[in-house]
Amino acid sequence: MVKKELLKNEQIERVLSPHPLSFMKLQTLCIFVIVWGVVAWWLTEYSEYAGLFSGNEWYPLILWGLVMLLVGVIASLVAIQWLIFFLYLGVFLGGAGLVFWQHWESSIPLFIFIYSIAVAIVGFLIVELYRRSHKYVVTNLRIIFKGGILTKRERTIRYDKIADIDAKQGILGQIFGFGTIIPVSQSGFGLGSDKTMAAGGVEVGGTKARLFGFAGGGREVQTPIARSYYELHGVYPYKDVKLLVEDLVQSHVPTQYQREQVEFQKQQVDIQTQMRDLLHKQVGGKPRKRVTQQPVDDEEEEPEEEEAAQKVSRRKIIAPAAPVEEAFEPEQVDIQQQMKELLKKQKVARVNPPEDEEVEEEEGEEESEEGEEGKEDGK
Amino acid sequence: MVDFPLTIDALVFAAFAPILGVIAFWFLQLFTIEFQKRLLSQLRHHHEAFCRFTNYIGILFQALSQALGYTVTRSGISSFQVTVNYEKVEPKKEKEGVFEWVAQSFLLFGPFFIPAGLVLLLSYFVVGRGFVYPTLLQYTFVESLTGFLTSLSTFATEFGGFLITLDLFNPLHVGFVCVLLFFGLGIRPSYIGQERKEKIDILRDLIHIKDHLIEKPLYIAVIILILYLFYLFSLFFNPGVYIGLFVLFGWMSLTAIIAILLTVPLLLLIWATDLIQPRWKIVPFLSIPVSYIVARVFLLYQPMNRVEQVSLLVMLFSTFLVTIALIKYKRTNRFKTAIKMKHVRVADGKKGTSKK
Repeated sequence: MVKKELLKNEQIERVLSPHPLSFMKLQTLCIFVIVWGVVAWWLTEYSEYAGLFSGNEWYPLILWGLVMLLVGVIASLVAIQWLIFFLYLGVFLGGAGLVFWQHWESSIPLFIFIYSIAVAIVGFLIVELYRRSHKYVVTNLRIIFKGGILTKRERTIRYDKIADIDAKQGILGQIFGFGTIIPVSQSGFGLGSDKTMAAGGVEVGGTKARLFGFAGGGREVQTPIARSYYELHGVYPYKDVKLLVEDLVQSHVPTQYQREQVEFQKQQVDIQTQMRDLLHKQVGGKPRKRVTQQPVDDEEEEPEEEEAAQKVSRRKIIAPAAPVEEAFEPEQVDIQQQMKELLKKQKVARVNPPEDEEVEEEEGEEESEEGEEGKEDGK
Repeated sequence: MVDFPLTIDALVFAAFAPILGVIAFWFLQLFTIEFQKRLLSQLRHHHEAFCRFTNYIGILFQALSQALGYTVTRSGISSFQVTVNYEKVEPKKEKEGVFEWVAQSFLLFGPFFIPAGLVLLLSYFVVGRGFVYPTLLQYTFVESLTGFLTSLSTFATEFGGFLITLDLFNPLHVGFVCVLLFFGLGIRPSYIGQERKEKIDILRDLIHIKDHLIEKPLYIAVIILILYLFYLFSLFFNPGVYIGLFVLFGWMSLTAIIAILLTVPLLLLIWATDLIQPRWKIVPFLSIPVSYIVARVFLLYQPMNRVEQVSLLVMLFSTFLVTIALIKYKRTNRFKTAIKMKHVRVADGKKGTSKK
């Protein structure tokens, strides 16, 4: 990916593309064409049933075409994609047209064999081209999906806009370690509907006609589904990529970030309040009341205690100079120790702050404050 | 009704002859499984995906066996899950006693016999003449054992005959060989383990089976009693029926052994290609179909007897020679590190490659 396409402070984490076996569904269509071509050739030319097809030279082609179309219909019904049927229809019509045009009627079985292999090889090449047209870029800010053979497509999704992650790994994926990850956006991009036996159901005047009385036009189910250009299709290594994406999404979730921020700030405020109290104590001023909330019952009792403590401290301050030093020295040491502990606590809190740039900025500010406090402490 | 002598040999010992035969073949099957597992564990380092694939087949059959056990005992199946690393089959109703024991037996013994039974079913269409049931002349221990072994040897001869006359230009034969290899990689009760260092010894399976059998000795006694009563009953009609029941299990074991042994050359070839430089690795695999096709085409113009056998021999020898030659002249670098260098992080924190 060109660096110019990256945003400010954006870094590429991974550049991915689908695994060679991740488009096995499409490759299976080609494999079937080869297998059936070879079987049809053997069946009509060399098997013990070859005599059945000797009546008419077009019989082998008809058998080959009929079986292929039947499989095409079944595959289309299962996959709910009529493209498979039309693809096989095209292959059959192309073959029949070629035989008719070139007058290869006398060697149809051999033609089926060669034609099937040729068509399948072309199919494999197209699938490979299609696979190579996919490119996924996982950066620290977003996922970029790029692809397209003729029409270039691009989808970008920021991690904070990802509402859900759907991940799936088929048998081949489990064996070879690849899988598909669909990031579902908050607007619902990445979600689709799935109809049970949808291909078998036909709507007639608003009512659903059912196949054999039970199949067809079933319940519509919302399911994570996306085109391979808009999902991380068959990415390898699946577990690592999934973990990376989940981590990145998690680190961009606003609620989590805010929660961490509030917690961090609470800690800081608490420490600073205690520090101020101690400073006031050290210079002999009136300790500042803490901001922390306390039960209502305690509020009535505490002022009396505080006033008593203040009276004691005032008495100590008013006392003559020489005894004052003797009286205050252990207390000063105690205050300084407490302040050191608080500073340590503050430092520990800053070692693991929420991982975000804004936190780092705040840290910078706080460090300057700390420096000032340190100076004050030194004084 | 058949006359039989009222001797202790005919009434007692002859009944146990086929049981011993089945146990012997089952042990032989266990040894071949163990051999295959050891070969696979040797390959694991370089062929993780291949081992995962074989694991998956094994686990799939294990899950199917367990599910069959729950179905037979009418426990029902509430969940069925098969992945590359584990299987999970749960019954709808938790049954106890004999039902639980039977379901457990399916889990323990099923993986040995269920996939083998499926291959046996398929082989009936290819090796049809090999399925001969024994006919007894005398009712003795030796005669029962001989009848059992004769049936098995007839089957083995026919199966072997089919394999050496394999016509790889026949899609049915090619399909059957593929099925044999596929099942052969998965006829085992336990997989070789997700972790490379996991123990894969034969004892683990045997200990499980032993514990299972010892747990309920009464059930074993009942089963033996039923079998014995069946034998006594069959004596009045045709003892061959009784022996035939065990011959079926013998055939399954034999099919499993053949299937497992067929996978051995494949595993050895994969192991051998690890010694060859990566760009040449594909050549031994390509030489299999290429040499066969060349031999068949050549013999089309130079007709001779036993074309299929000669072509198979040419294929095997040429693949062997090509592999040996490549190991000798295109051997891979032997000074390899255990960890791939491109995955090692260099001092500056960036990923280093072997080229660097």
